[in-house]
Amino acid sequence: MNNNAIVFCYRKIIDSSSSLPWEKMVFEDSYMEFKMQFQNFSQGLPYHTFAELVHQRPDAERLHFLVSPSISGYIKQLQGGMPDLFDALGKRFLNFDSYRFELINSDIRNPSAHQVAISFYSNTMIWHDTIGNFLLVSDPAVPAGNDGTLLTALYQLQPFVSIHSLKLKI
Amino acid sequence: MVGAISTPVLWEACKKDSATAISTETVSNSGSGTSSTTCAVAPTETEGPFPTKTPSGYVRSDITDGRTGYKMTAKLTIANVNNNCAALAGVIVDVWHCDAEGNYSEYGGSGMQSTNYQSVHFLRGRQVTDASGLVTFTSIFPGWYSGRATHIHVHVYNASGTSLKVTQIAFPEGSGSAVAIVNGYSKGMSGYTTNANDNVFSDDTTKLEIATVTGSIAAGFDLSIKINVPG
Repeated sequence: MNNNAIVFCYRKIIDSSSSLPWEKMVFEDSYMEFKMQFQNFSQGLPYHTFAELVHQRPDAERLHFLVSPSISGYIKQLQGGMPDLFDALGKRFLNFDSYRFELINSDIRNPSAHQVAISFYSNTMIWHDTIGNFLLVSDPAVPAGNDGTLLTALYQLQPFVSIHSLKLKI
Repeated sequence: MVGAISTPVLWEACKKDSATAISTETVSNSGSGTSSTTCAVAPTETEGPFPTKTPSGYVRSDITDGRTGYKMTAKLTIANVNNNCAALAGVIVDVWHCDAEGNYSEYGGSGMQSTNYQSVHFLRGRQVTDASGLVTFTSIFPGWYSGRATHIHVHVYNASGTSLKVTQIAFPEGSGSAVAIVNGYSKGMSGYTTNANDNVFSDDTTKLEIATVTGSIAAGFDLSIKINVPG
């Protein structure tokens, strides 16, 4: 038993191929905001893509931050529940405490080039052991039973999911 | 029964005119779904929460977000130079300015970010002009930072988000002005850049960019300005 505290990070990619209603709204609203905020940096410059603009104007990196309010309402709608990640029973088992929005690519002429990512950082979980391909984890915010029994979940790491931080033996 | 259920699926897959069977286009972006690449259990959760279309977090009139400072109400009237400077209704107005210490909201350096984006984006807001071309924001009187006179950034867009004007609002200065009364908050005014020496405002010889500012520390300040844009 390790009993190390870990924080998962799930980097959710959203682009023109994203199909769920939530993803589509994030896609459309972040693209609209990108086109608006882009004009704060592009005036007089012949650029159309995020990559070109950042290359020529490094301060355009602030667009990550400036575009992010366009999706903050959609983050709230998740009510703190980590999207897309399920335990071995097929149930949600993680909450997220924080997130970060980033532009990957975009082009003011072409919505299909628009690609963004939202990194969700989970609440702290206790990683007790690894069983086969699964991590045995528990939520330290859930109190143990009277006899010390902890409720646990088994989770298999997936693409775009990483362990963001580790605190040994809490 | 199992066979009867499976038949349509097999039939569908074997149909020669199936669009998916004909296409030879290779998928270059398989999306973010993880189900096809891992042996994870398929989700079996009740659907929801159901997403609804939500306006940008910028859309709000009070942009204070708990920043401390002297209250300031800013009234911006947008007018159309292409229509005898008549009021321009229905245009989008973004404003942003620094806090009492002279700092803007921005991402921190680390990869972690608080969930409270309202406060992270402090002193930034968006409103749409009413029939008289007016938008009103509640905020705090801006501080200042090295190299710049006190100012508020403004970006006016048409309803579809195309930029009409990027500009900045300057403040009256000198004895009895709000800038003098606020006196740079705790920073004082040593090293302050006046409008005449400001690289943005120094060419504004007709003082079009300078707002009218009234009020007091006790009652709060009222800023008003008319901004003409090519609507």
